[in-house]
Amino acid sequence: MTATNAVEGLKRARRGVGVAGRGPATPSPRGRQGRTTLGRSWGTLTAFALPSLILLVLLNLFPVIYAFLQSLQNGTPSTLPWEADFVGLQNYVTVLTSPQFWQAAEFTLVFTIVGVFGSWIVGLGLALLLRTRIPANTVFKVLLLLPWIVPIVVSSTAWNWLVATPQSPLPVLFSWFGLDNVNFLGDPLLAQILVCVFKVWISFPFMMMMMSAALASVDTNVYEAARVDGANSWQTFTGITLPMISRSTYIAWILMTIFCVNDFPTIFLLTQGGPVNATTTLIVLAYQYAFQNLQTGIGTAIAFIMTAVLVLISVVLYRQIKKVNIE
Amino acid sequence: MTSESKVNGFTRRGFIGLAGAAAASTLLAACSAGGGSSSSGTKPIKFWNMPWGAPTAFPQEDKAIVAAYKPKSGLPAVSYQQIQWANFTQTFTTAVAANTNPSVSSGGGTTAFLFEKEGKIHYADDVINKVWASNGIKDDFLPGLLDTMKTKNGYAAVPYNLDMRLYWYNKQLMDKAGASLPTDWDSFEAACKALKKIGVFGYGTYSGAGAFTGGHTLVAHMINNGGGLFDKDQNVNVVTDQNIQAMEWVLGLVKNGYVDPRSATYTSANAYSQMNAGAFGMIWDGAGTPANVNANVASQLVVGDPLVGPSGQKGALYFPNNIFMFKNSPSIAGSEAFLNYYYQNMKTLWTKKTGIGLPPLKSIAQAAYADDPSATKIIDTWQPISKTWGAPGSNTVFYNVTKVDGTQPMIAFAQSILGGNTTAKDALTTLQKALESA
Amino acid sequence: MSQILHADSQAPVTLGRLDSKSGKADISTGQRGKWWRFLLILVVTLLIIAPIIAVVVLSTQPSQSTSSATGFTLANYVFVFTQTDVLLWLQNSIIVALATVIVAVAVAAPAGYVLSRVRNRLVSGYSLILFVIQSLPVVTAVIPLFITFSVLGLTNTLASVAIVYIGSTMSVAIWMMAAYIDSIPISLEEAAWMDGASVFGSFTRIVMRNSLPGILSTAIFSFLLAWNDYLIALIFLQDQSVYTLPKGLETFFQQNATDWGSVMAVAVVMMIPPVIVFAFLNKYFSVGGIGGSLAGR
Repeated sequence: MTATNAVEGLKRARRGVGVAGRGPATPSPRGRQGRTTLGRSWGTLTAFALPSLILLVLLNLFPVIYAFLQSLQNGTPSTLPWEADFVGLQNYVTVLTSPQFWQAAEFTLVFTIVGVFGSWIVGLGLALLLRTRIPANTVFKVLLLLPWIVPIVVSSTAWNWLVATPQSPLPVLFSWFGLDNVNFLGDPLLAQILVCVFKVWISFPFMMMMMSAALASVDTNVYEAARVDGANSWQTFTGITLPMISRSTYIAWILMTIFCVNDFPTIFLLTQGGPVNATTTLIVLAYQYAFQNLQTGIGTAIAFIMTAVLVLISVVLYRQIKKVNIE
Repeated sequence: MTSESKVNGFTRRGFIGLAGAAAASTLLAACSAGGGSSSSGTKPIKFWNMPWGAPTAFPQEDKAIVAAYKPKSGLPAVSYQQIQWANFTQTFTTAVAANTNPSVSSGGGTTAFLFEKEGKIHYADDVINKVWASNGIKDDFLPGLLDTMKTKNGYAAVPYNLDMRLYWYNKQLMDKAGASLPTDWDSFEAACKALKKIGVFGYGTYSGAGAFTGGHTLVAHMINNGGGLFDKDQNVNVVTDQNIQAMEWVLGLVKNGYVDPRSATYTSANAYSQMNAGAFGMIWDGAGTPANVNANVASQLVVGDPLVGPSGQKGALYFPNNIFMFKNSPSIAGSEAFLNYYYQNMKTLWTKKTGIGLPPLKSIAQAAYADDPSATKIIDTWQPISKTWGAPGSNTVFYNVTKVDGTQPMIAFAQSILGGNTTAKDALTTLQKALESA
Repeated sequence: MSQILHADSQAPVTLGRLDSKSGKADISTGQRGKWWRFLLILVVTLLIIAPIIAVVVLSTQPSQSTSSATGFTLANYVFVFTQTDVLLWLQNSIIVALATVIVAVAVAAPAGYVLSRVRNRLVSGYSLILFVIQSLPVVTAVIPLFITFSVLGLTNTLASVAIVYIGSTMSVAIWMMAAYIDSIPISLEEAAWMDGASVFGSFTRIVMRNSLPGILSTAIFSFLLAWNDYLIALIFLQDQSVYTLPKGLETFFQQNATDWGSVMAVAVVMMIPPVIVFAFLNKYFSVGGIGGSLAGR
């Protein structure tokens, strides 16, 4: 094997679609592996996988067990799980029967759906736009990533500055259009919308990157063929582009779902869950119970219920991806 | 200091060793084991303090005071750490759970009482009744202050600095509106009415992200009217006639447009920018308001007189912030000796105007505020009428207070009142239920 | 694949392909369409980064409480660089972020290789574990993690936060590496194996040597995660000598006052390193890569 071979192979690989968007285009790698060197090197492969597994288990196993024990008890954050009173599933019952939980669950759902699809649409749109010939393309790419880069402590402050007082830019802008005294943070509905928009603002760069990468892997020839067949741009987009990037899209959705549901700082720093709990999501509620009300049992029970649902959704979507791959 | 940088050095070297290594955590553990925690006789004990004052002036002065501490032979030295306000309850509870908590510490106003309930506090009775009784500090505390820290097992903490809810008025705006200075609830409302005529909100407040002042102020009004949150048995009891009347008064102010409709979600920065913009004629806040607004506005701010409530009495809410000692200190004698040293030498935090709340000691108040009419007025007229969260049942702090100080039920309550879309009774009933389940 | 992405900016693709994307087949032909799109993206970008522009502008305004003057000033920057430990925080942040990046890549790359090349029940289960772990909330894990580190004597060290960040980035990092390795044909390795190379040999000499874009993508993702963390640093780092930038930022938030000028100045300082990283490496960044590998399982 020579360097030239490798380069040739790589070129082929990049032209072909193995990476981002399209599954089945490179069936070759996996088909023949079993009876080769690879098959006999399970020792090496185990050594390859083990460090990550050990790290993940070490970092996650104890916290999960610890938190689960806490959820069965009546403790405070500072009591160890073997110190507090054991109450069985009482906390779970309390949580599931409290209206606060369901209110937060509802908003978590809205927040996640808007967060995932909002950032996906914006991210995909910008990724499509940035693929075209535009002067200073790279500059825009970097600038558009800024919302993701800026520390959340700062961007939440910047957004507060943007909307909070009557002298803030957005309320002033709205009053030019005759809408006086728009109270972005104080009105429950507007606060909910604001938090969702803020989340989309933070998240779309991630989507933009994912979608750019996925789009880049779509074979240009397919578009030529479609044009020859007389498809218009919308048809090409829905008929070819979207299916071609469907796997990356699913992955992006799953990751963003996880990021949204687990997102504590975004909401906590902008509205702290207010006004009157309108923007409280489950993770914020869990935090409030655990570290403000000092009812760690209830806080961790909320977190566990939330995580269970999240894992369930992830697994379903995960199977969906496998299906897409097989088709 | 040397040991700190050593820890740091070990860590960095650890990283280099790590670069390609698989057994990352083991290696690091080995590398930094030397920098680990606890248990050797001469190791300094830890003092944690919150950032009570101005961003650089306070920590610098505070650190200098601690650095000047020369322990008597056999007693440990003290290391200083400033804790941040963000998520501080989590910082404390995490440290206690992991047994890496300090020996002496300040915290939120109720932090000591959480740990007192869990049996982790070393009571300050010996310091107060032996050391301070003999060196005069005990008698130097402002009247009634020490008692606020007393639990049935002893003093859970010692008062350190005072914060309270009172109102400031902007003299210029009041004059412009032709408003007379309020003395009771009706005249306060009249002043608001006058201010509204010149487009200024009379009742300035804030209850947004990270701001608890709005809720504090509402409780201050309840206390003003003879009400409050806790009964004699230290249980939550908020749906009372006095409280309903007080909240109806605030709801009336909201409905009449005397309260900025955005107040419910203002952060402190938002509220101060409204002060700077001349949009608030009066503001319910702490003792340090002038330091947070621009110089022009600050020069116009005057502390108002305590209001007489409909019940005929005065009253307000104050927070005796405190310092406490942990049981698991490597040296209890060391903790107590340091506490005594600190109280003997902390005066410069106030005389140098580092922005910390009001002093707990009469001698410091005299030394620091002889030339400051606002602070003097607060200490002379507001402190004596103020009560703790325990009102009306008691004038102490205790574990159940942790459920109301800066918690979500209180924030939601304040936001619902300041939002105006509720009745006093409904809001209080919701609060009662939320606090009962908390 | 990021090569292809990169190719866009340097060797523009045919217009036919552009049209099908922009949905404006007829307008976008020629120079005029190019400038229209430029205008569109300019407006959108300005709208989107308006809050960030605000931060930069606010960092150059005099602080409210000390004077009521307005106008441009660098006083906030002078203050934070001379009166605070911002350089130490910056240094600590860089150490943590680099350590996170190096270890994350070193651990994720071989694991990604396994995920990409091997196909059996065991690996499938491993893949699922990565998924589940990614879903766990960090809020409830903070205390047990802190306890673990204090038992190990690692509290108040940069190592402790770096290890947590490495753990948090691991799942995504492995997927990203696996995705990139998918694009390297196994036939190259097979040739090497015929010549007697071991799996380890082919991994280091063929796969790693050709994975620079994949490695960089993984690195940038990990870097950002470590750089921007809010919760972990706040709780874990109490000793002033180990403050990172987000923790240092909190020192400006006091009981009754916040030094906004300094906060904004530090925020700008905090933005600069990632922007530099992005400006130089953005062409290699391809998160999308994870798509390929997951689907293979």
